[in-house]
Amino acid sequence: MVCPEWNQVNKNDYRGIWVYVEHFNGKISEGSLQLIGKAKELASKLGVDVAAIMLGKDLDKLLMEPIYYGADKVIYANDDRLSIYLPHIYAASVVELANKYKPEIILFAATKRGRELAPYVANTLRSGITADCTALDVDPKTRDLDQVRPTYGGNILAHIRTPTRRPQLASVRPNVFPTPPRDESKKGELVEEKLSKLPEPRGRYLGSKSITEEDESGLPPVEKSDIVVVAGKGVNGVEGVKLLTDLAKLLNGTIGGTKKVTDAGWLPTSRQIGQTGRTIRPALYIGMGVSGAIQHVFGMNESKIIVAVNSDPNAPIFNYVDYGIVGDYKQVAEALLELLRERKKQ
Amino acid sequence: MDELTIVVPVKAAVPNITAVRLDPNTHNLVREGVPLMINPYDRNAVELALRIKDRFGGKVITISMAPPNGKDFLESTIGMGVDEGILITDRVFAGADTLATSHAIAKSIAKLYPNFSLIIMGEETTDSTTAHMPAQVASWLEIPFVYYATDAEPNIKDGTVKITRYLEDEGLLEEFIYNMPIIMSVYRNSNPPRDISLNRKIMAKVNGLVKVLTNKELGLNPDCVGLKGSPTIVAKIEDAKPLPRKKQIFQGDPKEGAKWLLENLVKEGVIR
Ligand SMILES: Cc1cc2nc3c(=O)[nH]c(=O)nc-3n(C[C@H](O)[C@H](O)[C@H](O)COP(=O)(O)OP(=O)(O)OC[C@H]3O[C@@H](n4cnc5c(N)ncnc54)[C@H](O)[C@@H]3O)c2cc1C
Ligand SMILES: Nc1ncnc2c1ncn2[C@@H]1O[C@H](COP(=O)(O)O)[C@@H](O)[C@H]1O
Repeated sequence: MVCPEWNQVNKNDYRGIWVYVEHFNGKISEGSLQLIGKAKELASKLGVDVAAIMLGKDLDKLLMEPIYYGADKVIYANDDRLSIYLPHIYAASVVELANKYKPEIILFAATKRGRELAPYVANTLRSGITADCTALDVDPKTRDLDQVRPTYGGNILAHIRTPTRRPQLASVRPNVFPTPPRDESKKGELVEEKLSKLPEPRGRYLGSKSITEEDESGLPPVEKSDIVVVAGKGVNGVEGVKLLTDLAKLLNGTIGGTKKVTDAGWLPTSRQIGQTGRTIRPALYIGMGVSGAIQHVFGMNESKIIVAVNSDPNAPIFNYVDYGIVGDYKQVAEALLELLRERKKQ
Repeated sequence: MDELTIVVPVKAAVPNITAVRLDPNTHNLVREGVPLMINPYDRNAVELALRIKDRFGGKVITISMAPPNGKDFLESTIGMGVDEGILITDRVFAGADTLATSHAIAKSIAKLYPNFSLIIMGEETTDSTTAHMPAQVASWLEIPFVYYATDAEPNIKDGTVKITRYLEDEGLLEEFIYNMPIIMSVYRNSNPPRDISLNRKIMAKVNGLVKVLTNKELGLNPDCVGLKGSPTIVAKIEDAKPLPRKKQIFQGDPKEGAKWLLENLVKEGVIR
């Protein structure tokens, strides 16, 4: 029996897929756009539309963007009270809209802000939520969302469902799904909403300060590059990281690290790849001195080609590679540098 | 407000998942002998609470929904300087998802400490890594919440608290001022926890500073807690198996290996 303290839910009243589209400083977060692509795929199996939800003030310039990326419509609220992001106010706004429109699924990008917002929305609707999904599917019969996420330290994959409640909510880490192409010829509907029941702010935003971590490499962020060279603990210090940074530069790629490497301060945490760091899906991943712990693998598993160099032939990383070299990372990296320099000259 | 009451929900008795291994033959999780611990990030939350107490006075309480063996971990938080602990434990709470867990925690806090000023929580748990609970507890209690706090400075006179938080992905420090009560979660790389005083921990045990509560005292509807009060179900579990890969392995001279690799990467079209 369902808890009698919750509102009754008739599943058939709920139709359509929503993507909460996050934006900050006039820019839509990439993770939200990626979800639109996935949502479209799920929506076609369910025979419904995809709506993007946008909250804020002075949204006009951004409103068509979700449509260019594939959304069928944008439901938005342009409201003074939303000019500054306060988590409970934004969450309450999504709740109010969801109560009115009754979507069957709401997806959030699992950015730091998204991870903060989504559980409040879900809980206030007395529905379930699954964080950091790595795969999503729908069952056209029950219309249940199959939410797949690594759990227990990434050692197992759990398929989670919310069979008795609606909407079904899930968050997905940025870069788990590819960004759909942008097409300005796409058409869609813009629906403006007025919010009535917003709670008291009870707080004020005082301001922000950007603190970019010390990052000497001068290379692009790990999510933004097609080739990522990753340093593991096996590179044994900043010298090793520097060697791999040179390699990354020569490949027109960028440098990343495992948690052990960023924890040691050899690279800034913004370059940590894995379950508690960034997720990447480059064309080429090259891990050197990386053991291949599951928490790391979850951040790079979707790379097109995976390469690893490790001196231990039994290192778990070799279970995940296309090309592996058993050997000393330094010798291999130096040989690669030499070969690449020769190629450049030609 | 005369005195701060700070409640810190902690997940006691979580497996140290770095010690969890997959059986290489059966691919099953080997859980036997995996040591239990308090969720490590919750110690950072306790630390922030204690830092506030050190500066502004008041009382810090840890609370956990856990099996009976969670008691020892709550006593450890008293060893860090916490004043008292509450262990919520009852068969009817078993199988709870984050909604049902947050329900029990929120109702317990509302019942035991209705005048709480702050609820401070860990960023996430290392075994389930959802980071759901802080927002969910806030939703039950209908109060504001902020994640990833690095610092908080209450003003007892006017009942406000200034919160600094760090958004790791944006590299942004934000500052807010809120009226208390409010819930915050603590950025996991801030507020490194202080040591546990063994004497204090023993004192906690001897003086019974951790109270154990069951649903008899809490009186929650059994249909709204545990497995029954959980909207999500785990439909299926599978091993996280590697995706199919080419798995070509080179062993031998590193220079030859580099050449072999480069040729293959050019063939794959990922290096031009
Ligand atoms: C909750 C949780 C979350 C986590 N999140 C992440 C995460 O997001 N990202 C992450 O990376 N980790 C994460 N971890 C940590 C993870 O479990 C591993 O500890 C970590 O990934 C290991 O890093 P590593 O491969 O660099 O180091 P190690 O495991 O120490 O491996 C070093 C490797 O280098 C090899 N080596 C040594 N010398 C050489 C040499 N000269 N040449 C070549 N190879 C050499 C060794 O054979 C070894 O395989 C997390 C852990 C937990 C518990
Ligand atoms: N069983 C529990 N009892 C008390 N607090 C908990 C429990 N589980 C999680 N928490 C708190 O909620 C935070 C986030 O946990 P989670 O949402 O599970 O990642 C933790 O860091 C704890 O502060």
